[in-house]
Amino acid sequence: MTKLTIALAKGRLQDQAIKLFYKAGIYVAEEQISSRKLILEDKEKNYNFILVKPTDVPVYVEHGIADLGICGQDVLLESIADVHQPLDLGFGYCRIAVAGKKQEDNLTKELSVLRVATKYPRIAAEYFQQRGVAVELIKLSGSIELAPLLGLADRIVDLVETGRTLIENGLEIKEIVSETTAQLIANRASFQLKRTSILELVDLLAKTLDKP
Amino acid sequence: MKSISKIPRGVRYFYGEEVKKRRYVERLILSVFEGWSYEEIILPIFDYHSLFALGIGQDKAEHTYRFLDSDGELLALRPDLTSLVARTVATRFATSNRPIRLCYNGEVFRYKEAQEQRPHDFHQLGLEHIGNDRLEADLEVLLVAIEALSALGLSDFIITLGHVNFFNGIVEYLGLNQHLIEEFRLLVDSKNQSKLSYFLGEKLPKTQAKELCELFRNTGGSAFLEKAKNFATYNQTLTNALADLTGIFEIAQSLDITKYLTIDLGDVNGLDYYTAMTFKIYVDKVGAAIASGGRYDSLLKNFGVEDPAVGFQISLDLIANIIEKPTNSIIEKKHLSASQNLVEMFQQAKELRKNNTQIEIVDQII
Repeated sequence: MTKLTIALAKGRLQDQAIKLFYKAGIYVAEEQISSRKLILEDKEKNYNFILVKPTDVPVYVEHGIADLGICGQDVLLESIADVHQPLDLGFGYCRIAVAGKKQEDNLTKELSVLRVATKYPRIAAEYFQQRGVAVELIKLSGSIELAPLLGLADRIVDLVETGRTLIENGLEIKEIVSETTAQLIANRASFQLKRTSILELVDLLAKTLDKP
Repeated sequence: MKSISKIPRGVRYFYGEEVKKRRYVERLILSVFEGWSYEEIILPIFDYHSLFALGIGQDKAEHTYRFLDSDGELLALRPDLTSLVARTVATRFATSNRPIRLCYNGEVFRYKEAQEQRPHDFHQLGLEHIGNDRLEADLEVLLVAIEALSALGLSDFIITLGHVNFFNGIVEYLGLNQHLIEEFRLLVDSKNQSKLSYFLGEKLPKTQAKELCELFRNTGGSAFLEKAKNFATYNQTLTNALADLTGIFEIAQSLDITKYLTIDLGDVNGLDYYTAMTFKIYVDKVGAAIASGGRYDSLLKNFGVEDPAVGFQISLDLIANIIEKPTNSIIEKKHLSASQNLVEMFQQAKELRKNNTQIEIVDQII
């Protein structure tokens, strides 16, 4: 079979992705995973795995450097990458939510311009635009919850897994923008040129996910 | 004034070997086009914005560099070359004999958002075959594409052959509304089997849903096409679409070009533009289609003439990335010294140039 290169999002989804491959019989040696290597290989040498920042997964895949990739739906919505999305992997469930300080419920009506801090400027802009709310977007790269506490923003748009960080910081979910799970994505050219190998893997992973 | 070294977003300069490679590719492809009697047309860099809106649709025409003419009319840098060809055919060539064969070579410009760090201009080489709605025109265009790529030394490319009316015929059969059509299209494009089979399972018997799902997700040759024909009886749209593809594929088989061809019924990009067969060409190590084309029989109507048309374009940018440097470009060069008698030296230069020898005048011959 043709060797496939798969980009994996480091962090939150990486372990679960590796576990899924393990369950599907695609083994990556433990010493490789625990090393600082950025390119891993499975034991059968059928796959190369490259470990990249979550937001870079669609970039590697869209350019065809990786044939396939695993990243969250949130990353895909933000990047609007032109890729196929052959399998919803189901794990890594989160919500993309609008959150703000408790009590402050009517801000969208009271303020003429809502200040929104987020890692997801595209998703946030689209969401508020659709609802006719004028916003000033403030792009942050981490600790988004700080923004409303320190008065940088009125609202945040962020990924919420359990909601604990929000609660501990006196924030709450105001609206759900979208839900997100890990997605398998594929480069369009690879899908044509290496279709047999790709579909084989897609079907194998789909079957593995169905197993209890 | 800004620093002289600052260049605007998306702008590119080419020099050195890259220029030689690009010019080599252009010449080769244009000579293949000429060999099939496609006449080159040189098109304007900008034109009325409304013209492009007619050609590529209002939405896409939004993503252009726009500016005003002195009379206040909105102009745009060309985002597309076919619109300009279409208008030329509808006006200057309105009464010319059909078919009209035209080819072009040039950049198109698309406005990109600030965060998109991609080039804003793309260089395309393409052709349009106008006024023939028959199979022979479709095949001619495919053969020209194959010859052009082969001339460049590419051999391991694949051409995915599709037909917009396979998807449209299924939509018609399912009786989907506008909203559901887009949902269906996105599902087909995603290649997500479980979601697509769920969608189809609600509307079709289980076995048919499964078969259809596989047809949208997979590709293949004549056996694959045979399977697709199970759906030909659904309606006339599907019957015609599959007959078109069969016709092309059968002749391709006799011409021994099916090694390049694979039937892909799941290509649902460009539904609003193409009206029949479509194709895309892929080659190893390039993450996007290097060429694409198809039949667009309704476009010319927007410009006031009723002409069927088929065409395709090749991306020079993508091709130039993968083509080997032309080997025949190494020409012997003669150095002349500017430190000797200038009259003698230039006389010698003129003589050498008569034989087309490449010369370079230098201070000292080392």
